[in-house]
Amino acid sequence: MGKAEKLHPLVDSEVPNLLEQIFPYSLPPLIRFDSPVIEYIDGEPVEFDFSSVKDRELLITDTTFRDGQQARPPYTVDQMVRIFDLLSRLGGPNGVIRQTEFFLYTKNDRETLDRCRALGHKYPECTGWIRAVKGDFRLVQEAGLKETGMLTSCSDYHIFHKSKFRSRKECMDKYCEVVDAAFEAGVRPRCHLEDLTRADIDGFVLPFVDRLMEMSRQVPARQSVKIRLCDTMGFGISYPGAELPRSIPKLIYKLNRECGVPSDRLEWHGHNDFHKVHVNAATAWLYGCDAVNTTIFGFGERTGNPPLEGAIFEYIALKGGLSTSLGAGLCGIDTMAITELANYMRSIGLPIPDNYPFAGRAFNTTSAGIHAGGLRQDERIYNVFDTERLLGLPPRIAITDKSGADGVAHWLNELFGLKGDERISKIKVHKLARWVMDQYEQEGRLTAISDQELEAKAKEFYPDYWQKYKS
Amino acid sequence: MATVEERVKAITARVLGLELDEIKSEHSFTQDLGAESVQSIELVAMFEEEFGIEMDEDAALAVETVGGAVEFITQVCRQQGVELEE
Repeated sequence: MGKAEKLHPLVDSEVPNLLEQIFPYSLPPLIRFDSPVIEYIDGEPVEFDFSSVKDRELLITDTTFRDGQQARPPYTVDQMVRIFDLLSRLGGPNGVIRQTEFFLYTKNDRETLDRCRALGHKYPECTGWIRAVKGDFRLVQEAGLKETGMLTSCSDYHIFHKSKFRSRKECMDKYCEVVDAAFEAGVRPRCHLEDLTRADIDGFVLPFVDRLMEMSRQVPARQSVKIRLCDTMGFGISYPGAELPRSIPKLIYKLNRECGVPSDRLEWHGHNDFHKVHVNAATAWLYGCDAVNTTIFGFGERTGNPPLEGAIFEYIALKGGLSTSLGAGLCGIDTMAITELANYMRSIGLPIPDNYPFAGRAFNTTSAGIHAGGLRQDERIYNVFDTERLLGLPPRIAITDKSGADGVAHWLNELFGLKGDERISKIKVHKLARWVMDQYEQEGRLTAISDQELEAKAKEFYPDYWQKYKS
Repeated sequence: MATVEERVKAITARVLGLELDEIKSEHSFTQDLGAESVQSIELVAMFEEEFGIEMDEDAALAVETVGGAVEFITQVCRQQGVELEE
């Protein structure tokens, strides 16, 4: 200890190396891999090549209207139609947001589905969600859906304590009867392995999935069973070396390579009980699930689900840009729709914390004067990417006693939309900066100063600018 | 007309709330006279107004002492053709 193993000479330069191949600024920082990952499974090393995600068809699915609605009073039909429309715009015509699922039980549920489909969007495709009850397929058929999710809970907590099955075999037989009913109805079943990360993997999950795969071989490919890996309580762990049933890498490996469920029929559904929800979903993508199931702004039961907008930026970062999986043209994602969704959700009473990434009112706002000074010189210093280009939201300064003249100057220039040489120097903002300081030093203020207050003062102190740029 | 030094000291006293005789040429605006961030900006703005000049923001804010300000302002005034009392 203490003795250096390798010396690292300074690479002197008079030109900055901004690492733009990783931080292009016009895009979110890219996620690049320079080596494969080894995971020991059943004592044997297994190699995963994460760089293959560039060539795989990664997808996002949405459960805003199902899991998302389990966390709040129901949306109105009009609200859901509007959200669906924005989801379609966000995911683009190539269907990066591939599917969204609907309850089918009430008249409102069915009207919503009809009106969403009437918009004529190719994506997201509409799927259903039902209990593992044969009679529920009538609803799926009547709605004309090709695919539905169904509950196939797989931990013994659910099998014995919730569903009161007398044995695992009885449970599995019952689930398989419902899957058969789906096949008979011409519907593709998507089996939701509820509570997977607390289940007996070898004792129940793998035998059940083996049987589902065998059943799938008897039906046309378009009806073959999809598997949703449901981390119902947020117990999933992304770290290599973690043990089953919590290990996401091992769960996916077992289903994908042992049971033979192809990646395009695997989907991860997480919960945020341990603050792991987004990275767990991204981990599922890396280890072989093509789809991650999300909700807008992560709004879902209890602590929520993987945030859809987080998955969108992860997708861009993993793909290395906005190209399609096959590199042929643009993927069609319209990130500006995130801001529109945030504004819409706020307008209908869904609270989004101010510091919430990508969508909170203050996610790219700094109130520290020293950071404002950096922003004034080059916004890349304190902005994660070009948030104005991708979200229509330039970096902002919240004005407090910590903002300094730099912060006030940045705020004022943003107000008047001044760039480059047109920008007002901080010397010229001294009156407004003094007024701000007096609010705290003389008036004893304890809160940030609102834009409205500052605008009133800007109009008073800088009438010429106001006349030119704001009238 | 007062000299540049007298005018610089008068403005410094007014902006920082000090007595004239507390201000010496060798004093640092921030360390000795206690100028805070916004007061530094106010000083530069007041000097510009007093002398009828425009100063480069970064260069002006890099000046540390009262004597340095006198020198810097004298130089800017000469460059911008502003007459001064010697």
